[in-house]
This record gives sequence, structure tokens and C-alpha cells, in this order.
Amino acid sequence: MTKTTDVTPKKKGWRWGTNRWIVLGLIILGLFLLTDFFGAGLNIKPIRPFVQLPAEHWSEHPLFSTSFLGIGDFYLTNTLVALFIVMVLVIGLAFWFNRAVQNAFKKNDLALKGIPGALEALLEGLFNMTQATAGKWAWTIFPWFAAITLTVLLANWMELIPGVDSIGVIEEAHGTGYAVQPLTAGIATIAMPEVAEHGSHLIPYVRVVSTDLNFTVALAIIAVVAVQVIGVQAQGIGYFTKFWNVKTFFSKPIFGVIDWGVGLLELVSEFSKILSFAFRLFGNIFAGSVLLFVMGSLLGSIVIMPSIFYMLEFFVGAIQALVFGLLTMTFMAQATQGHGEHEEAH
Amino acid sequence: MEGNIVMAAKLIGAGLAMIGAIGAGAGIGIVTSGAVQAMGRNPDATGTIQTNMILGIAFAEAVAIYCLVVALLILFVVG
Amino acid sequence: MEQLGLNLGYLLVQIICFFIIFVVVRAWIVKPLRTMLEKRRAAISQSMEDARINAEARAAAEKEAAKIIAEAQAKAGQVVREASERAETAAKDIRAAAEAEAAKTRESALAEAEGERNRMLGDLRGQVAALAIAAAQKLVGEALDEKRQHALINEFFSGVKSGKVIILESADLAGTAAEVTSALPLTSDEQEIVKKDVLAKMGKQATVAFRVDPSILGGLIVKVGDKVLDGSVVAQLEGLRQSLK
Repeated sequence: MTKTTDVTPKKKGWRWGTNRWIVLGLIILGLFLLTDFFGAGLNIKPIRPFVQLPAEHWSEHPLFSTSFLGIGDFYLTNTLVALFIVMVLVIGLAFWFNRAVQNAFKKNDLALKGIPGALEALLEGLFNMTQATAGKWAWTIFPWFAAITLTVLLANWMELIPGVDSIGVIEEAHGTGYAVQPLTAGIATIAMPEVAEHGSHLIPYVRVVSTDLNFTVALAIIAVVAVQVIGVQAQGIGYFTKFWNVKTFFSKPIFGVIDWGVGLLELVSEFSKILSFAFRLFGNIFAGSVLLFVMGSLLGSIVIMPSIFYMLEFFVGAIQALVFGLLTMTFMAQATQGHGEHEEAH
Repeated sequence: MEGNIVMAAKLIGAGLAMIGAIGAGAGIGIVTSGAVQAMGRNPDATGTIQTNMILGIAFAEAVAIYCLVVALLILFVVG
Repeated sequence: MEQLGLNLGYLLVQIICFFIIFVVVRAWIVKPLRTMLEKRRAAISQSMEDARINAEARAAAEKEAAKIIAEAQAKAGQVVREASERAETAAKDIRAAAEAEAAKTRESALAEAEGERNRMLGDLRGQVAALAIAAAQKLVGEALDEKRQHALINEFFSGVKSGKVIILESADLAGTAAEVTSALPLTSDEQEIVKKDVLAKMGKQATVAFRVDPSILGGLIVKVGDKVLDGSVVAQLEGLRQSLK
């Protein structure tokens, strides 16, 4: 063997891949933390979650109190914090995207790279859906679709971030709680065992904004009102004949009355849209975060199991964001088309 | 003791309210089955079918959501 | 409502926040996206147009090339055809000339050979007559006078008796060409007689050819068209043999 003839094969990393070893290491770490692991582990038992419907307050005292419209005490809640984070993320993304597009224009390059490129691919897909459904009103409807989908998507995926819902202030529970175990100065944890009296529970700093009904109801109201606005834009004041249909009231003996009744039902269905919009998103994501907690506490010892539910929640979050946006878009597209009078609408 | 009976009734009521989700589940299953068959028969129309499928699922799911709302109201609001 | 966490204040804050998001998204995401999509569409339609023009140009060029090739092929074909026609004509001429030459040569050779044979047969005629007379004198024992003997012999060979062709006397001939065959060449006097007789039967325009065939032994065979007047000795002998049977 001489140096000139010996062709050494190109070095190819570790033969068995790297990701699987990372996963295995994390599983072992989980086993070490959550079980006694042949006597060596820390054997921390995951606690059961404290489920509360309204958002928790950050502070003891309200930010301000007003009697205006019966608002009362206004606290800074952990879902509001999450909303601000989402806002910052969306605005940051928008800024980044805008800058990337302007840079691309300057270089006369029509392809984006990295995260703006991914965002552009997503939005283009959404836009194609809008165009297929709404036709010439696509560019009027699309900003709503994009804004709602992006906001809800980022809000939903926040529940997958470690620390959201699990880092916060320890408060004394009213009912059963858990014992407090101080870790270091100023930092403590609550852990098993359960104590019936004078236990504590966690008030997280950040709670996913979709688990706050205020957020989902606000989005639903905005969506439904925007649908009406776009309907009026498209059809003028004639849009409201959809709800108060007396055109055929006298010309057709029985069916006219039925049409009028259908119009009233449409009005009711607009309100039920708010309800279903709001509770669909809220129910899915609230149930999702509770599911993650419960599965973590029940199956935490089988370390790999909760990660499957993380995947499920990732999927559910994306689907719910898409469904919220898609339904808004479809209702808007329907509103632009007349109620059985397509010639007038276009 | 009295309070516990009320609590139990609330829990049972919430559980019963969620029975309505059966219908939504079956409905979603039917919608998806139809959509998947349609996509299998006509793969070119996948985009339209998917959009309409999601819409149909959303409407079917709305029923389950009303059940969820009722259950939540029973659990957290009533009493 | 309190238990659900719904509060008008939070609701308003959420709505305001969403509108901030909406405005930002519309300004910084939807607008650039729209510009980008429109630019991209324009670029795509531009490149499609370019491609279409290119394709058209290429198609035109291909058509042109095909036309040129077809023309060249047609021209080449014509040249080849002309050349081969010319060559064929030349070959035909050469072959015809050669054939004519060969035919002439053969004809002249044949004529020469026939003339030679006739001359030799003519030379023989006198000797044959003398021999025949001598033989007959020996057999008959009495000598016919010399003149009569010759007349008999001549009659035998030429089939011409006292200035008349025997076989033509009772025949009627119609045609344009007659062929007269004799056992030995006829003298020019005899030929004149035969010719005159035949022409008298057939008309002035007819032609008369003379042939010599020793195998008929004597007499004349006159052939006009498909009609044969057989006055040959062979035919007479054959007739005699038939009647003797």
C-alpha cells in the first residue's frame, strides 16, 4: 500500500445515524428523571393539572378598574401575555417577510428562501383556495383569511413550547393541591404527594391564548361581522334581504312565508356561527392542552407516550387554524354571492 | 354530603351532555369516508373535495361543540 | 359569563389586538405577496410568450429547412432521372446501331454465302445435265436430239415449259409478294419467264423472290402468302407413292 494508490473511502459520519441517538438519550434522560431507574433515578412523579376555565391573573391587584360598560377590574392575565407574544411573532414574521420580498425585488429574484419562503408557500396555498372559492373577491377576502390563520396557527402551536403552561407562580389552592418543594433561592416546584389542605397549584405565566374564550369569541365576532361587511360591500344594502326576505311574501302564497322564515333562520345561524367558531377553537385547544397535561401525568413514566400526543396536538392546532380561516373565507365568499341571484352579485 | 351529591350530578350531567358527540363523530366519519372515496375516484378534484370536506367536518363538529359548551356550562357555570 | 372567563374588557383588548395584527398582515404580508404573485405571473406569462415565439421561430425555420431539403431532393431526383434517361437513350442508340450493324453483317454474310452456293449449284447444273443425258442415252439407247434433251432437262429443273410456268396455268394467286423455290438456280431467262407469269397472275405491283433448295429435286414451288403451289418433283414422287400404295 502506497500513499498514491490507496484510495481511502470518504468519511461518512456515524454509521447508525445521529437523530436516533438523540431520541434514545432523551428517553433515557426521561426515565432517569421520572422513574427510579434501578435506584439511580430522581423518581419525580408528574402532578395532575389544575384545570381552570378563565384565564389566570398575573397579579393580585387589577391593572385598572372602571365601571365603563361594566368592565370592572382589568387584570393582566396569562392569556393576554400569550396574545402579546403572538402579536410580536406575527408582526415580526410580517416584517421579515416584507423585507425579504423587497430584497428579492431589488435583486430581481422572484423566489424567497428560508422562513419567508415557507410562509410564502403556505400563503400562496391559502390564496389559491381563496381564489378557487371567491373568484374576483379573492384579494378582498384573503387578508382576513391570512391574518386569522396565521394568528390562530401561532397561538395554537404555542402550547407545544416547553414552559408554556408549566412555568409560573405557585399559589395556594382552595381545594386539594400539591406540596411545595423549594429548589433554590426563589425557585420552587410543586410535586407529589397530593395534600388535601393548604396545598398549592401553579399559575402559569403564559397560557395558550386559544384556551381563553375571550380570544376565540373576539375572533368569531370579528369574522362574522367582517362577513356581513363584505356582503354589504359586494351586494350593497340588498345583502340584508337575505335575513328579511319579503320579496316573495305576497307573490307566492305559501313559499313566500317559508322564504321569510328561512331568512330569519339565516339571522339565527349568523349568531350560531359566532358560537360554533368560538367554541370549536376553544374546545379543541383547551381540550388539547388538558390532554397534554393529563397524558403527561398518566403516561409520563412511559416516556415516549406523551410525545405522540404532542404530534397530535401539532396536527390539531394546524387543522383548527386552517378551519377557522377557511370557514371565514367560505362564509365571506358566500356573502359576496347573492342569495339565488348570481347575476346581481357579479 | 349534600354538596357532594350536587357535584356528582353535575359531573354525570356533563358526561351525559357529551353523548351528543356520538352523532358528530359518526357524521365526521361519514363525511371523510365519502370524501376519501371521491378523491380515490377522481384524484384531480382533490383540492375542491378537501375544502368541502373540511367545511362539512366543521359543520358536523359544531354539534359536538354545542355539547361541549353545555358540558362546560354544567361543570363550571351552573350552581 | 364570569365563570367562563368572558369579560367585555378582555374581549375589546383581544379585538383591538387582532385588528393590529390584521392591519400589519395586510400591509406587510398580503401586499408584498400580491405584488410578488403578480410579478411572478407576469414573468411566467412573459417567459411563456418568449417560449411561444421561440417555438414559432423554430417551427418556421424547420419548415424552411424542410422546404429547402425537399427542393434539393426534387432537383437531385430530376438530375438523376435526366441522366439515366440520357444514358438509356445513348445505350439504346448504341444497341440499335450495334444490332443494325450485326444484322447488316449477318445479312451480307448470308447473301454472300447464298450467292456462293447458288453460283456453285449453277456451275453444277451443266455437269448434272450432261451426266443425266449420258445416263439416259445409255438407258434408252437412242439419242434424242441434243436440243430436245436440253429442253427436257431444263423443263425438269425449272418447271418452265415452252415459255410458260406449268403450275401457274390453272391457279389464281392474290398477294403482294411471291417466293419461287427451285432445285437449282434458274437462269436469268427462266427467271424472267417465271416473273412475268407470276406478275400476270398477281398484278404489276407484286414482288418476286427466288430461292434455291436442292432437296426438292426439280420443278418449282410458288408460295404466295399462305398459299403454296407445289410443282416440285418431290411432291410428284410423293403423289405417285401415295397412288401406288
